[in-house]
Amino acid sequence: MKDQTTTQDLKDRLTLIENMISEGRRTTESWGWTFVLWGMAFYVALTWDSWGHSAWAWPITMTAAVVVTVILVSIKTGGEAETTLGRAVGSVWLALGVSMFLLFPSLGIAGKLIDPHLFIAVASGMLGMANAASALILRWKVQFGCAVIWWAAAVAASFVTGNQAAVVFIIAIFICQIAFGVYGMIQEAGAKSRRGTAHA
Amino acid sequence: MPDLPELNPVIHGKLRLALLSLLAGIEEAEFTWLRNKTGSTDGNLGAQLARLEEAGYLRVKKKFVNRKPRTLYRMTDAGRQALTEYIQALKQILGTAIDT
Repeated sequence: MKDQTTTQDLKDRLTLIENMISEGRRTTESWGWTFVLWGMAFYVALTWDSWGHSAWAWPITMTAAVVVTVILVSIKTGGEAETTLGRAVGSVWLALGVSMFLLFPSLGIAGKLIDPHLFIAVASGMLGMANAASALILRWKVQFGCAVIWWAAAVAASFVTGNQAAVVFIIAIFICQIAFGVYGMIQEAGAKSRRGTAHA
Repeated sequence: MPDLPELNPVIHGKLRLALLSLLAGIEEAEFTWLRNKTGSTDGNLGAQLARLEEAGYLRVKKKFVNRKPRTLYRMTDAGRQALTEYIQALKQILGTAIDT
């Protein structure tokens, strides 16, 4: 076979291998919308909570957000490839979701979630951890910036008044969920339009 | 002059080489994803994937998600080994071609 194959053809095959391996590793998954969705869910829960229906505001809003996320993910998933990187990042967020859904309802049912400082500090700290882990896996400085903001919110919520802690939480949600989610969606749209279809 | 290695004919086909290289960088992929990445037709892609599966280089998994059938392809250890050996052979041949 090698006698019939030119050197240029062999070089082309090496280039093809390199291109296809790097093309396979480029994930086409889009997750920016989940940050926006959950940011909006946090705002709905906070607003509802402030109107005095505090017992049901967070459980109902968070459960609804989970249902919407699962439905949208199942609709959007298809024609995809699974990468180790994607599974690692997905695992971080899944673990965060499970931790929050076990911890906060348990604290609420036990009547120990009466201090808003505690809720905001713990939630912000956990979100900081998940953002940092995701950022370190993806080597994404912008997301690491979000982790730093969440950690700062967690520390600040421990020292300021209840109202100030709520304001800090609202600002952190806006920057790290809404603004970061929109930024992610713009980045994903740009990457998809630049990439196009690779022909082998 | 040293004996030059033979290139594995199963992998040497351009589309089959592209498919194995794509799958080398990921865990598993759907048929439609492979079709989009390679720009191949359904018929040609199916035939080349079947040949790679026959050689033991790919493993196929079929499942239903939301009542829609999905066919997932994953590279086997034998496929990874074969691709590695193919690349080594390719580099050896090219190295010899440069030297002579």
